[in-house]
Amino acid sequence: MKKILTALLAVCLVLSMAACGGGNNNSTPAPAPDANPSTPASEPAPSGEKIAINVIAAEYGQNTKDWWAKFQDEFNKANTGIDLTVEVVSWNDIYTVVNTRITGNAAPDILNIDVFADYQADGLLLPAKDYVSEATYNKMYPAFLEQSVVDGTVWAVPDLASARAMYYNVDILKAAGVEVPKTWDELKAACEKIKAYDANIYPWGIDMTTDEGQAAFAYYIWNNGGDFTDASGNWTLNSDKNVEAIEYAIDLVKSGLTNSDPANDTRYNLQDMFGAGKVAMMIGPNSIPTYIKDGGSTINYAFAPIPTNGGNASVSAGVMDRFMCFDNNHSPEKIEAIKTFFDYFYDDARYSDWVLMEGFLPATSAGGEIVAKADASMAPWVEIVGSCKFYPTAKAEWADVKQGVINVEQQALLGGNVKELLDNLQKQIAG
Amino acid sequence: MNKKFYRQIEPYIWIAPSVILMAIFIVLPIFSVFERAMNKVTRAGKLQGFNNFENFTKVVNDPAFGLVLKNTIVWTIAVVVISTVLGFCLALVLNNNFKGRKIVRAIVVFPWATTLVIQASVWNFIINTDYGTLNTLLLKLGIIKQAVNWTSTPEAYFAWEIACGIFVTIPFVTFCVLSGLQSIDTSYYEAATVDGANYWQKLRSLTLPLVRPSLTVSTVLNIIYVFNSFPIIWTMTKGDPANHTDTLVTYLYKLAFYNGKQGEAAAVSVIGFIILLICASTYMIYTLRKGDDT
Repeated sequence: MKKILTALLAVCLVLSMAACGGGNNNSTPAPAPDANPSTPASEPAPSGEKIAINVIAAEYGQNTKDWWAKFQDEFNKANTGIDLTVEVVSWNDIYTVVNTRITGNAAPDILNIDVFADYQADGLLLPAKDYVSEATYNKMYPAFLEQSVVDGTVWAVPDLASARAMYYNVDILKAAGVEVPKTWDELKAACEKIKAYDANIYPWGIDMTTDEGQAAFAYYIWNNGGDFTDASGNWTLNSDKNVEAIEYAIDLVKSGLTNSDPANDTRYNLQDMFGAGKVAMMIGPNSIPTYIKDGGSTINYAFAPIPTNGGNASVSAGVMDRFMCFDNNHSPEKIEAIKTFFDYFYDDARYSDWVLMEGFLPATSAGGEIVAKADASMAPWVEIVGSCKFYPTAKAEWADVKQGVINVEQQALLGGNVKELLDNLQKQIAG
Repeated sequence: MNKKFYRQIEPYIWIAPSVILMAIFIVLPIFSVFERAMNKVTRAGKLQGFNNFENFTKVVNDPAFGLVLKNTIVWTIAVVVISTVLGFCLALVLNNNFKGRKIVRAIVVFPWATTLVIQASVWNFIINTDYGTLNTLLLKLGIIKQAVNWTSTPEAYFAWEIACGIFVTIPFVTFCVLSGLQSIDTSYYEAATVDGANYWQKLRSLTLPLVRPSLTVSTVLNIIYVFNSFPIIWTMTKGDPANHTDTLVTYLYKLAFYNGKQGEAAAVSVIGFIILLICASTYMIYTLRKGDDT
């Protein structure tokens, strides 16, 4: 009797597992018509029923949730036929949340995140022109839109950006008798002077951590005339200029002119040390003033273009986030509703409010003008952001390249040969 | 008949909820990880069919994997062995009667009761070159003249992580052994004393065999916990520089959530699962059989 019961229980168990497992992990995507039952493919929504739009948005800071809550209320009041829901998710969880939703065939209609190429590669996205009205589309900086192009089509639209510059401690540089460096030679000389002035100060801050080591890579190669790719988009990770640039950065570390542990000191550690007067110069984003002020620091600092080599013009690194629209078999009415959402969001006044909320930079020219007027300290940044370079995030290999260059930097810190390491990476990425 | 049937089925009804919960939260995820490990998985998380164990071959051929595996073994053995030895000694001490024993026992629990992330952050704060309390203390005491970089090499950093791992593992061992020690009848020791056994003889021939069941439990659980431990290494170094302080768990986390290679991450997870299964079951079979022999 016991045996029979045990067997029965085991069968129940296996069945319950099978029942749960089946819906979750089909190895082939479910047929399209079932993909999103809440949005009928061709039938218009019955009159009187609201069109539901769900948005997943990244949480940029403490104000993001409140901002979106207010936005949702106002939007739903202004557009009675649409029922907008915005779910704000922290950066730590957003990739997992989105991937789980996609796996469960419940992708959001609109997503606000940094990357898009992986979703595009899986054929999950709609072209930007399909869901953004022409008037709104034309507001965006063309240089920004180009960052979301795959196969000649723009797949995502920029929501905001941040840019980088060199911050320096005015008092330390003055006391050490150093001018603000503009070239790499001047930078190294300045670092040596600062070190001679006070051995307890780190003249230069470098972050080569898993967190953001790719940024350091970009700062040095771009300001040495190198790049991740050539003009036609082929990877050029091991170009001579890139090798020279990374060797220069590693040499600064090896000469003892930087923070002692670049593989573990994140940008936030560096910002803390900069705020405490322990680091004299570092490259950082436009949000540093807010960060330093919130940290209670009173140091006297300023910012300048990132030093360059070989007579190249200084290049700032831009980071850009995006909106994208998932292809959930939307009805024409729903597409119109989504267009309304974007028109509402990119309304000049509302958009500049969005950008200023967390101290970011605008991705539209009209927004730029308003932001520059509203906050004088942002004006030089608005100028910088119009001309900065971006990571090649539109390329499918970017995630591998990003981890690859961080690995190269860390191997080089441990004594590896930069040229060999970059040759290997290039071979691995480009085949 | 009905009553008899009910009585027989009753225990199964009672345990059914926990069996179902375990099936949903333990068996299903394991099944899902195996499925992912065998499939090609896109970065967005879609499964695209069986790919001939490519995830496994890719992982094994990655030069970093050997290093990570070595780190994992060093990490697990060092933490488990050292914390077991120290925990055992501490339990012996705490088993004696002395004034303030209760307070000492409470203090021993502290490292165990604190979140690992907090523990690791505190250790990081202690050993930091620039603002660490260890340097500050040594400078104040005049033992060193200049701040020392305690983590100048990846190996040094890894050693600190192991130290932190040992520190947080000792309480668990101590309390397992202590519970074993307290269940030993004192008459054994009295008899041994009458027979003229010294302290070491009693320790070797009485205490050790009698606490073996407790030690087995603590060691098997520790092997599993420590092998799978994520927070200490992640908080202190994130496996940097260049995988030199990675263990399998931090490595697979990076693969899945930084590199977007969920299939390969699942493969690493499966490899870890198999290693653990072999280690833990070998150890258990070995010690339990030895226990039966004696």
